[in-house]
Amino acid sequence: MNASSVDPTFRQRVAKHARRLRHEPDLLIGLVLSGFVLLVVLFPGLFAGHSPLAVNVDRAMEAPSATHLFGTDDVGRDVLARVVYGARITLSICASALVLAALIGGVLGLLSGFVGGRIDMLFGRLIDVVLSFPPIIFGVMVTGILGPKTTNLIFALTVVYVPLFFRIARSGAMAEAGMIYVEAARSMGLSQGRILLRHIARNVLPVILVQCMVLFPLVLQIQSALGFLGLGVQPPTPDWGAILQQGKDYILLAPWMSAFPGLAILITALALMLVGRGLQRRMDRR
Amino acid sequence: MGVYIAKRLAASAVTALLASIVVFLLVRSVPGDVVGQMLGQTSDPVAAKALREFFGLDQPVWRQYASWLGRVLAGDFGTSWTRGQPVMGMVGSALGVTIQLAAATLVLATAIGVPLGILAAIYEGRAPDRIVQAFNLLGLAAPVFWIGLMLLVGMSASFDWSPPLMYVPLHESVSENLSMIALPVLSLALLQAAAYSQFVRQSIVSALGQDYVRTAVAKGLSTRTVFFRHLLRNIGIPLVTFMGLILIQILGGAVIIESLFALPGLGRLLLSSIETRDYPVLQAGLLVVVVIAMLVNLVVDLSYRIIDPRVRLS
Repeated sequence: MNASSVDPTFRQRVAKHARRLRHEPDLLIGLVLSGFVLLVVLFPGLFAGHSPLAVNVDRAMEAPSATHLFGTDDVGRDVLARVVYGARITLSICASALVLAALIGGVLGLLSGFVGGRIDMLFGRLIDVVLSFPPIIFGVMVTGILGPKTTNLIFALTVVYVPLFFRIARSGAMAEAGMIYVEAARSMGLSQGRILLRHIARNVLPVILVQCMVLFPLVLQIQSALGFLGLGVQPPTPDWGAILQQGKDYILLAPWMSAFPGLAILITALALMLVGRGLQRRMDRR
Repeated sequence: MGVYIAKRLAASAVTALLASIVVFLLVRSVPGDVVGQMLGQTSDPVAAKALREFFGLDQPVWRQYASWLGRVLAGDFGTSWTRGQPVMGMVGSALGVTIQLAAATLVLATAIGVPLGILAAIYEGRAPDRIVQAFNLLGLAAPVFWIGLMLLVGMSASFDWSPPLMYVPLHESVSENLSMIALPVLSLALLQAAAYSQFVRQSIVSALGQDYVRTAVAKGLSTRTVFFRHLLRNIGIPLVTFMGLILIQILGGAVIIESLFALPGLGRLLLSSIETRDYPVLQAGLLVVVVIAMLVNLVVDLSYRIIDPRVRLS
């Protein structure tokens, strides 16, 4: 899209949203922090001078210094590099799980709410089964039994979060289905599928997108908890939870091995929480 | 009310049944079983076959499930395949540890979270509110196991103290038991206190804007009466719902914290039974977790009626 094709009202709308940011310092802080995290994800080389995998046993468990800002781990790898390169791995797993959950939960929820009847009953039962487990325990069960592989981890996280998207999409579809515009569309002879896709889905989509942002920090917590239990990404791949799992055994000898990846999770979760809440607030106001 | 409870219990039983089928199919859908774990790589095929027959693993899955379910309904959870002890006893003693952990966490989280939330709501938009909100955000963003690790480092660095490595039950030595569970409880409680205070603040702030509060103030009632008789009563229902949610969350968090602090609770039992493919223990443990979560939800819904007699259960 080139600049001239941008419709001026769109630009005005963007400017209006940006101006309103001045009155929402928390959203602004969240956006800045998220921007920083995104930069780390996209250009890890800018932030880390060492390789995340280069082993150097002679320099094992060195405390933070000028050459190794976050210190080194039990086999002499640079902790800063591991945390920086880990951002991409950890966050891309969370993001894929969220997108899949939103897609599957959204489609099933829309169908369930719009069609109703037996489909609604069937989906509702399945969703209840998933919801009957505390999320972490479900994640532990799936990754533990299927084996600690990245695809299994994404699968587990996706299944845990499908119910939440399902419920939102379902209640959205049910509310929209009763609206006059839907009846109008129907009386104009539009097919059910077309009404669902072009009208209802389009109105439910923004709610689902905001929900993605709100849930992102929660997915990150569960993802890193599973990594910490050894059920997520396997070493030597630098994943935040997995780095913490390795650091656990040296917690009193080399606390920096655990402190920094944990801080990375904290800062990222904080940034995403602030953005999610800010968006939710704007949405509720409308 | 009786009919409602019966209906709810029936629905929960169906969900629990479905959940147990899911668990059963899941554990049997992957290669590798307890026999492989026991005999190792160089296993004698004759011995392996005999052991599989002994555990009933040579039967079709549906028949294994039917016989398991039949025995569970008769109150028999079987024997652990790796430790030879009755599953009931293992799950029971592990559950005791987790319940102690959860109860202590809930008490501590409530004791910290509710006053903080009230404080923040009273000073809405001013310094105390800002500080409490910063605490809430940090508490919610920090991973619970990381808080646990940092508490370990902090206690060791400042007091040269670390928790004992062997768990001691409460009835054997109160002081040793408490020193073992202090850090796990604290790590779990910080997160839940943040969630709690966030929620209490939000509930009170939105209630303060309601007409019934304005009316009560305009009638000339004292602040105390308005707060305790009118406001607290109205935010009671969401508060109880939230407590149930927190309890279920603590149950989940316990898995991580128990494995970090070597507490022999339900979470650790689940993890070890997954590792060794000890199906009877795993199935019983997961069933217990699901049933507890359902009972908590049922109690929460029932308590609505006690708090607010206008609520109709249907």
